[in-house]
Amino acid sequence: MLRADSVSLAYGDETVVDDLTLSVDSGEVVAVIGPSGVGKTTLLRLLSLSLEPDSGRVTFDDTDVWAVDEDERLALRRRVGMVFQEASLFDASVARNVEYGLRIRRQWRERFREQLRSVVRLNGTADAVEDALEVVGMTEKIDQDARSLSGGEAQRVSFARALAYDPDVLLLDEPTSDLDPRNTAVIESAIETARNSGIGVVVATHDMNQAERIADRVAVLLDSDLTEVGPAKAVFESPEDERTRKFISGELVY
Amino acid sequence: MTPGLASLALLAEFPFESVYVRSIIFVSLYVSIIAVVLSTLVSVPIALVVGFTDIPGKRFIKSVINTGMGFPSVVVGLLVLFAVSNQGPLGPLELVFTKEAMIMSQFVLATPAITAVSLAAVTSVEENVRDAARSLGGTRLDVALVVIKEARYGIATAILAGFGRAISEVGSVLIVGGNIAGSEGVSKTRTLTTAIQLEARQGRYETAMVLGGVLVAIVLLVNAIVVRLGDDKVMG
Ligand SMILES: Nc1ncnc2c1ncn2[C@@H]1O[C@H](COP(=O)(O)OP(=O)(O)OP(=O)(O)O)[C@@H](O)[C@H]1O
Ligand SMILES: [Mg+2]
Repeated sequence: MLRADSVSLAYGDETVVDDLTLSVDSGEVVAVIGPSGVGKTTLLRLLSLSLEPDSGRVTFDDTDVWAVDEDERLALRRRVGMVFQEASLFDASVARNVEYGLRIRRQWRERFREQLRSVVRLNGTADAVEDALEVVGMTEKIDQDARSLSGGEAQRVSFARALAYDPDVLLLDEPTSDLDPRNTAVIESAIETARNSGIGVVVATHDMNQAERIADRVAVLLDSDLTEVGPAKAVFESPEDERTRKFISGELVY
Repeated sequence: MTPGLASLALLAEFPFESVYVRSIIFVSLYVSIIAVVLSTLVSVPIALVVGFTDIPGKRFIKSVINTGMGFPSVVVGLLVLFAVSNQGPLGPLELVFTKEAMIMSQFVLATPAITAVSLAAVTSVEENVRDAARSLGGTRLDVALVVIKEARYGIATAILAGFGRAISEVGSVLIVGGNIAGSEGVSKTRTLTTAIQLEARQGRYETAMVLGGVLVAIVLLVNAIVVRLGDDKVMG
């Protein structure tokens, strides 16, 4: 469905992603693991269609994303949801945050009318918003100010925000790296729910145990290159690449 | 009676119903509000463009903003007066000693200040938040609207600062407006500030003091509204 095909990207002189190919299909979870600073976030930004590769192609259902005009690219971008590594909630209520993706997809006239109604607090909450919050167990905080949430709660709301407009692909950038076990479990079960509803999920993580728990396929990113891509079991138990083997066994320290 | 009570008593006796006073307050508010609204409509887009795009001449625009903030207001008044005078480019519009000319000079004075504070406000919005708006499917306009909402308190502060400067301004409004009141005592271009300086010069200190009180009250009121706006998150 979504595919990066021999993509390369450099920041100035520093090549971060080099001739890399990775795809994700409906209803599968792909974990991208690799040490800090290797380019996981950069790869996700390429897949979120917000960063254009220096070379190579990114395709969505076989459409070359960077060859089509901006409107068409926007339409494709709108089928992708992303949860960032750092807190990125808007300074508004949880409901307004989760509703955002739905709101900006509506016509301007409708949006204007909603804005007026929200000033006098006449708006109800869309079902999709409640459903998405349900998935991450945050329905009770729906009216809370998003900036007053704890780190774990904020991350769960970010997840719901990306889920609410029913994307085809969900990109998660180390969604649990700062979370306690309970919040981590909630996010992992939400990933499972998303997968079961047919969403293709790419999750960047440096937690190999997590990758093993949740991923159908694992991609190991080392030295700006994917050294190994395959079923989780195969990658962890019998890696073919020497660097992967060392990374997984902890011999290769970055 | 203590001085505080004396001025309170004065306020109570003050002829607020008089056409003279009411028309002065009206002219002050009218000129300042219109100028600040126009300034805001120009300043916020400039702040967004300067803050988030790579247009050429950004440094030039920034130095114009900084210079503009420190520009002597009487000189602004002089330049606007020249522009609308018979010899000036806007001469045919016949704007000498009109509210429109006052709005123009207030606009020129307020815009750099509003732009500078708005720029600081919008550029302090976290990159993560902008990325989020984009990644959730936002267009460039959607991202700009999110930035404005996130920076609303700072932008409101900018508008307040601009309004405060405009309504307290004396030199330029005196030059371009001429401090005119009609025969029945209806202000044409007389503002609180220019009225105060006239009343004071003519020795009517009490009137001057009370007009000063009105001016301070207006500024404080606007301030309070802005603070509440920030607390309520009305726009969220
Ligand atoms: N906007 C940028 N400009 C310049 N260099 C950048 C930029 N973004 C990332 N980099 C560099 O690219 C490299 C890869 O960064 P990236 O954020 O993709 O790594 P990561 O794998 O996500 O790391 P982490 O696990 O710490 O989040 C790093 O060396 C980083 O310094
Ligand atoms: Mg990262």
